[in-house]
Amino acid sequence: MATRKTTTRKKQSGTEITKKAKLLCETMLKDLEQANRPVLHAVKCSLDNAFYDSKVGYLTPGDKIVRSELNVSSVQKLARTVFLLDILLNNVDTGAVNTKRELYYMAKGLVKSDKNLKPIDFDEQSESDSIIDFITDMLEVYREEVNCFANDRGGQTYSKQLEVTETLPDGSKAVIDLGSLGTTPFQPKNKPQALKLRAKKKIDFCLVVESEGTANTLVSNGFTQRNKCILMGAQGVPSNGVRGWCKLIQDQLKVPIYFFGDLDAYTMQNIFRTLKAGSAASLIRNSDFSAPDVKFLGVLPEDIKKYDLNYYEVKDKDASELRALKKAKDVLNNDPFFKDKKNKKLADILRFLIKNKIRCEQQALFSVNPKDPLMPEKIILKKIKEKSYI
Amino acid sequence: MSKITSSSTAEYFAKNLQQVGFSSPTKAVLTTLKESVDNALDACEENGILPEISINIEKLGKGGEKNTDLVKIVIEDNGPGLKPEDVPRVFGEYLASSKFGRGQCSRGQQGIGISAATTWAQLTNAAGVKVRSKTASMRKAVEMQVDVDIKGNKGIIKKKDSVDWKDKKHGVKIEFKIDGRLQLNGDGGLLTYLEGTSLVNPHLNLNYKVHDKDPVSIARVSEHVPRVPAATLPHPHTMKLGEFMTHTLLYGKIPLKKFLKTAFSRVTDTSINDFVKCGLKKAWLNTPLSKITEVQFKSIFQAIQEAELPNPSTKSVLTVGEDGLAKSIARLGEVDFFSVVTRKPKICDFKPVVVEVAIARFLNRGREDDSIQLLRFANRVPLQFDKSACAITRAVESVNWKSYGLSQSKNSLPQGPYVFAISVTSPFIKFKNASKETIDSSNDLTEELRLAMMQAGQKLSRHIKREAKAADLERKKAHIEKFGPILVEGLALITGASDARKKRATQGLDKILGRDADSAENELAAAEAKLEKQKERQAQKAAQRAQKKAKTATKKKTARKAAPVKKKAVKKAPAKKKTVKKKVVKKKTAKKKATKRR
Repeated sequence: MATRKTTTRKKQSGTEITKKAKLLCETMLKDLEQANRPVLHAVKCSLDNAFYDSKVGYLTPGDKIVRSELNVSSVQKLARTVFLLDILLNNVDTGAVNTKRELYYMAKGLVKSDKNLKPIDFDEQSESDSIIDFITDMLEVYREEVNCFANDRGGQTYSKQLEVTETLPDGSKAVIDLGSLGTTPFQPKNKPQALKLRAKKKIDFCLVVESEGTANTLVSNGFTQRNKCILMGAQGVPSNGVRGWCKLIQDQLKVPIYFFGDLDAYTMQNIFRTLKAGSAASLIRNSDFSAPDVKFLGVLPEDIKKYDLNYYEVKDKDASELRALKKAKDVLNNDPFFKDKKNKKLADILRFLIKNKIRCEQQALFSVNPKDPLMPEKIILKKIKEKSYI
Repeated sequence: MSKITSSSTAEYFAKNLQQVGFSSPTKAVLTTLKESVDNALDACEENGILPEISINIEKLGKGGEKNTDLVKIVIEDNGPGLKPEDVPRVFGEYLASSKFGRGQCSRGQQGIGISAATTWAQLTNAAGVKVRSKTASMRKAVEMQVDVDIKGNKGIIKKKDSVDWKDKKHGVKIEFKIDGRLQLNGDGGLLTYLEGTSLVNPHLNLNYKVHDKDPVSIARVSEHVPRVPAATLPHPHTMKLGEFMTHTLLYGKIPLKKFLKTAFSRVTDTSINDFVKCGLKKAWLNTPLSKITEVQFKSIFQAIQEAELPNPSTKSVLTVGEDGLAKSIARLGEVDFFSVVTRKPKICDFKPVVVEVAIARFLNRGREDDSIQLLRFANRVPLQFDKSACAITRAVESVNWKSYGLSQSKNSLPQGPYVFAISVTSPFIKFKNASKETIDSSNDLTEELRLAMMQAGQKLSRHIKREAKAADLERKKAHIEKFGPILVEGLALITGASDARKKRATQGLDKILGRDADSAENELAAAEAKLEKQKERQAQKAAQRAQKKAKTATKKKTARKAAPVKKKAVKKAPAKKKTVKKKVVKKKTAKKKATKRR
């Protein structure tokens, strides 16, 4: 059984990463010279190695590791690891930035130019992706720290009060006043740690809406004009950018953050849990990519009755919903986040969904009074005021 | 009111030739060939002759019917030959057979097939079969054309001649000219039939020339003529009431008790006591058969059916044998490896059955992604049609071949360049139709087939595992050569190591991965050793069998030398009347029985 790691991860600079990687390679080479099998260790990023402490607020790794010892079966993986590591270290040195897809093509380009490298050619991107993940787990760094960025997705933010200062690679600074953007959103990068936030005027709360479309509708109807707030669209499962951005808002602005999304198993276990406590796949990054203070504003089970919201039953043909419900049963038994007493009310929502096999979408607020476009805003504000959240 | 008429057997079959394998011009050619070869092989085996069969099949031109060819089929054997008077009965009379209901594992059983072939020739080409026959006692051979008298169910001789057949001491040569179509390969192909026949008859010398293909000569791989075991007496539990009562007619006026003990297998004094317990009246036991009424017979029959009896004897079944199959399978092509299994005789549905399985992988036939070639045999006769309905096919499909290293989709035949030859031998095979194309499946038979196949699969899997290990070793070696240098080069690049360090690391890597390759080599060696052990065990078993045979042969010889005195002593006193009776019975039945081979 895994036990929790006591040391916490520190952010590493480019030089530190290079130094660590070189030391690792040096050890491997020495082992080879002495005809010993080199071994690579990486933190096991999976639910069976995840711990949750409500005081910490996010999922942390245990002491389980993935051990790759050199043998006939692993020699290909290790050769590929060293090959891609060289490319990444080069990027760290030069400051060049790439996506995983670009790295895949760069690797293919290098293989093309050197026939000796042909055996390690990647047939599909998934092959190079898994090696990159292994490298980051092994070095205990974020992919962004080795200059490998994902596509920016989600996190479109609207606010009249927020000002963002970005430190650019050359050290210069760019100041963005979100209030001056009108209804155009500000989108955080996947490395939001380079941003500094300032509230020009008092901000009462931050609202994260699961649907990007609904967030946009609220803004168009004047939500940010009437309220001193930050409004953000998550666009489904939150990307690293959205997660890091929420964490910044929580830490730098100290404003309450509310999440508003669908009432279904998928939203609860895949979207909200990731936003609040991180994910099992990113155990080493959760400290910077989760916002433990975020509250679940809804849709809550009691809202269905209270506001007479439209909902529907999960049918047998709805495979993805059934899968999510099945997973929810497993989550209740195995996910340390939902097993924690502090999150009992969230776990109760999952139990409610499993029992009743229903789902209610966030857009159901528009059915309450279709003639009043401001009704969804009124309900959200009422819920915040009445502290109707978990 | 319409008039009721009766038809002869020949008339019935002439109108229903599709029921006996003549449902299409393609099948007609195959069935004609099959019936002729079956008869030749049966005749040779009955007389202890090593069979030599020559076959020539050619197209002579257009057939009478649309889309058919006029096909000439000539089959010559070195069998004992037929007496001239028997020839028309054999080839022109339906249900005239020397084997009908005899309970032996002969190929032919009913006496229909060859007469049907003559009928087909007569119907499609207006001439029956041309037969040349010579027995050992004949100076010249007799040659005649035989037609079927369809109204009277008789063979009619046309154009009878006496000819010189100097190069032949005895044998039969038959020639059919029929409307047909030639299919050479595939399940229903002529070449598939000939291959299958040579596989299950290791003692056969077969020469054939089919259509425009080169002549083929397949030499025998066994000098041993299989002796078809003598038929055993019927088992009372395999009979119906009517059969039971007809059976009594063969035994005249003997008392019931004697009848039960002498006319059936597995009936002893203890069993008769059991019959009594089950309702057979004790008083009837000494009543002569002729005085027992139908009602009484029914009651007797019911009591017998109620009582428990030992299973029928399995002595009447014949096997090709693992040795014969192993040698014979090499005649189909270059064998990569094979496994053969001959099961011990087993009682399935109260009938003795032997299942034999030969599985071989060939170097020059079949492909990895094709289904295996399934050769089915019943009493050493290839079954070539209606594959999916056959008990053998169903049993093959029900085995999980994946566990033996073969690829297989669910509930279907496995895949790969394999030939599966599966033979069922029994004096009482239950076919689905009169043309004997498919074996009817029962739970007992399917289970026995599955067991035989699983046994063969286990043997086969050792070969496949050895191959997998060999492939694994190759893969591991290739891996080392491929990725090792890249790993060292990459590490040296990142650390900025010198060439000397690089060299040392390469040597170290070779050592490490060499150890892995060594362990793979050891695994391969272990797999090979297992295979060798299996082969040794098989050789030992074969040697033991040979020893056993030799022992029983010498025992019999010594017994024969000592026997005459004893036999006389036993026979003389009480059995005179009995032998007279038996002779009478035999005479009666001889009239009923026909003399022909099929």
